[in-house]
Amino acid sequence: MREAHRELLSGNRLLAQGALDAGCRFFSGYPITPSSEIYETMMKELPARNGLALASPDEITALAHCVGASMCGYKAMTATSGPGWCLMIETVQYAVMTETPVVIALVQRLGPSTGGATQGAQGDILLVEFCTSGGYTLPVFAPATARQCHQMVQAAFHWSERLRTPVVVLSDKEVGMTLESIDVSSLERRPQYERAAFAGGHGQFLTYGCECPEQPPAFAPLGSSERVVATGSLHDRAGRLRKNVPEVLELLNHLQAKIAAHAEEMAIVEEELAANAETLIVSYGISARAARAACRRLTRAGRPVSFLQLLTLFPIPTEAIRRAAQGCSRVAVVEENLQGLYASVLEPLVGKERLVRVNGLGQLITPAEIIEVAEAA
Amino acid sequence: MMAYTYLTPDAKLPYCKGCGHGQVLRALGEALGRLQLSPDKVVIVTDIGCVGLADAQFSTPHTVHTTHGRSPAFAAGIALADGTLGGGQLKPIVLIGDGGAMIGLNHLVNSALVNPNMTVLMHNNFLFGMTGGQNSAFSPAGFVTATTPAGNATPPLDLAKLLMASRAPFVARKLATDRDLAETIARAIAHPGFAVVEVLELCTAYATRWNPLTGAQLKSVADAAGYELGILHDEARPTFAATYKRRGEDAPTLPIAVSEIASELDRPLGLVLAGTAGERVQSAASLLASAGMRAGLHATQKNDNPVTQGTGFSLSELILSPEEILFTGIEKPDALLIVSDDGARELERNRFFAAADETTLVLSDDQIALPDLPCRVLRLPFRRLPGPKWAATAAVLAWLCITRAVPLEAFWAGLEARLGSQAQSTKGMLRSFLEQCSLAEPAEAPHTTEQLPPPPILAGQTEGPK
Repeated sequence: MREAHRELLSGNRLLAQGALDAGCRFFSGYPITPSSEIYETMMKELPARNGLALASPDEITALAHCVGASMCGYKAMTATSGPGWCLMIETVQYAVMTETPVVIALVQRLGPSTGGATQGAQGDILLVEFCTSGGYTLPVFAPATARQCHQMVQAAFHWSERLRTPVVVLSDKEVGMTLESIDVSSLERRPQYERAAFAGGHGQFLTYGCECPEQPPAFAPLGSSERVVATGSLHDRAGRLRKNVPEVLELLNHLQAKIAAHAEEMAIVEEELAANAETLIVSYGISARAARAACRRLTRAGRPVSFLQLLTLFPIPTEAIRRAAQGCSRVAVVEENLQGLYASVLEPLVGKERLVRVNGLGQLITPAEIIEVAEAA
Repeated sequence: MMAYTYLTPDAKLPYCKGCGHGQVLRALGEALGRLQLSPDKVVIVTDIGCVGLADAQFSTPHTVHTTHGRSPAFAAGIALADGTLGGGQLKPIVLIGDGGAMIGLNHLVNSALVNPNMTVLMHNNFLFGMTGGQNSAFSPAGFVTATTPAGNATPPLDLAKLLMASRAPFVARKLATDRDLAETIARAIAHPGFAVVEVLELCTAYATRWNPLTGAQLKSVADAAGYELGILHDEARPTFAATYKRRGEDAPTLPIAVSEIASELDRPLGLVLAGTAGERVQSAASLLASAGMRAGLHATQKNDNPVTQGTGFSLSELILSPEEILFTGIEKPDALLIVSDDGARELERNRFFAAADETTLVLSDDQIALPDLPCRVLRLPFRRLPGPKWAATAAVLAWLCITRAVPLEAFWAGLEARLGSQAQSTKGMLRSFLEQCSLAEPAEAPHTTEQLPPPPILAGQTEGPK
């Protein structure tokens, strides 16, 4: 039997560990509660793992540093909270447009504005997803436990490198800073993904030379013998500034097509489905823990409900949700924000008449609150 | 050896007649030609404004066109990554305008401080040219622009001075009309660290239209602004990459092996430890969590404190459970351990007193005023005997002695692992505290999962439910 090695670790600590396991080589950070432990861990651990961790003077610089490093071919990450994310949005869009892989760990706190630094919340979800002008899907993974922080940041690196896009790992104070006993010997390490390198003839390289809309272009780093022409402005395959030509629009469509084409493959969910359940409870992040606890209590009490935890939030795991919701007369979406932000995105999928929102602000949603809603059927 | 070219030969530059950008760009081309850097090791990093059109004029180096004012930050990322993780051969050259320099001032200051291997050419034409000639932070006093029709009332920033104060190892300020501009740019590029050349130049679309300004008058603009000209600073300062230290080995971690001292707890227990920041509350809670883990339990620890560090309350919510812990909050506390007034006040605010009922055991320091609670309350001299710094640890230990939720051996083993050589004296101090409170360890631990009634000897000291 494998011997268990338990450690008391936070989600932030395991997120940093997962980044290292994914092959992260570059980190530029700026302190902000409740994400600072990721920054501190990377400053401590990266130098020992042939990497570079940097202190940046602000969040804009932090992400710009990462994009520069990624253009040189190094897997790069930064970590922040809502106020820092607001500053990073400009550079997130730049990474989308230049097809530059980068991972951003966003540990949410209670907003608006500087809000409550040491209070959890799930209020940034749509600010994250819809930060890009034009209708592009930004992949978002949402761990609920420290172990899932380790897993989801690896998924984030995988997809970021594979599709050449920024990817966000969205946790919050409660997931990031709560310590949990973890059997570290059982942590899963997925194989590291290396972005597809240009293998064509010398001089044939085009920075944005994608061959089909669903795949990113092959990569050549700055400093290689292939000339890189990168730009955040409208461009053709060669990276030249262009306007009003079909190729530019083709490439804009490609930015979305490459994500959309992999939506089902990117879907990560955990489900505890009960046969003939009337109610499906859907949740993500910290609230998924209370929701799962509520489902188990109800099931033990002989009133089974189905439970679905979404670890991929975007692209929306449409098929998994449809399947889980099949036959249910109610779909309750549990999340710690006003109005049910993610629920509003799911509404067209599950239907207004079935959708029930369970929301909270400023404190954890409890299993009892969820049970109350489920029982009200 | 074949000579490299960098700019597209005979390129028709996209600039107005007489615009300084063209002069700087030609001088850069000439400087690169003198240095003969391998073009694949040169990265031209630009951003927004007329100067940002320059990247398209280069035919052989890499080019990265970025967001307004951010080019120094992207370039620093490139130079720092390559300098520490790669071959260290890459040379990013930033072309930025006076508008961009002000938006990205923080990036310039930081890059100067950090000292990556990069060069910045700041094209200062005193206004925003691309958007119609609006004033910038570098418009001279009295300068007429689209947004200062009566003359600019604000004095211009001295970037060279600012970057010298930011420890930039190479700083120069030149006029676009200087004959030795290419030579100065070449010296900047050849510098192994952060080098900046500010070039004063004309915007012939707006600046010369609205102001009595010619190329010959650029020097008088500099004089009026108090700008020094020439190479103002040139020192050999170790670059970031040269001083970056890699550690040879991973930091050791301290896994906790699950021992044979198993807990018989058969349901989750939630307790809240409440005290004052700086008095080792969270550390005592993690000691208890580790003890539980040693005994095979799952644990979660949720800490709370005010935004400030080191003052005010400190709260730890701890769950010990034989099963995986899902919800990390505590709906009804099994125990409240209170070791300071700050802690008691926070429990009041934080609804934990309201959530407590007759099954909740409260262990409180005996000097703290508590509201009427419907619980069993046991008051012990945590602060007086072991002292404020050990009060929380003593409270955890007292709770273990009473409930036996986790075998005491697991607690002592955890304490020893944490304190090393100091463990024995601390153990002695805590044991003597237990004796004085008549909580000394019984010879045989009555492992049980139900909340125990207090041992008979304590009966007189507890307050029954109210």
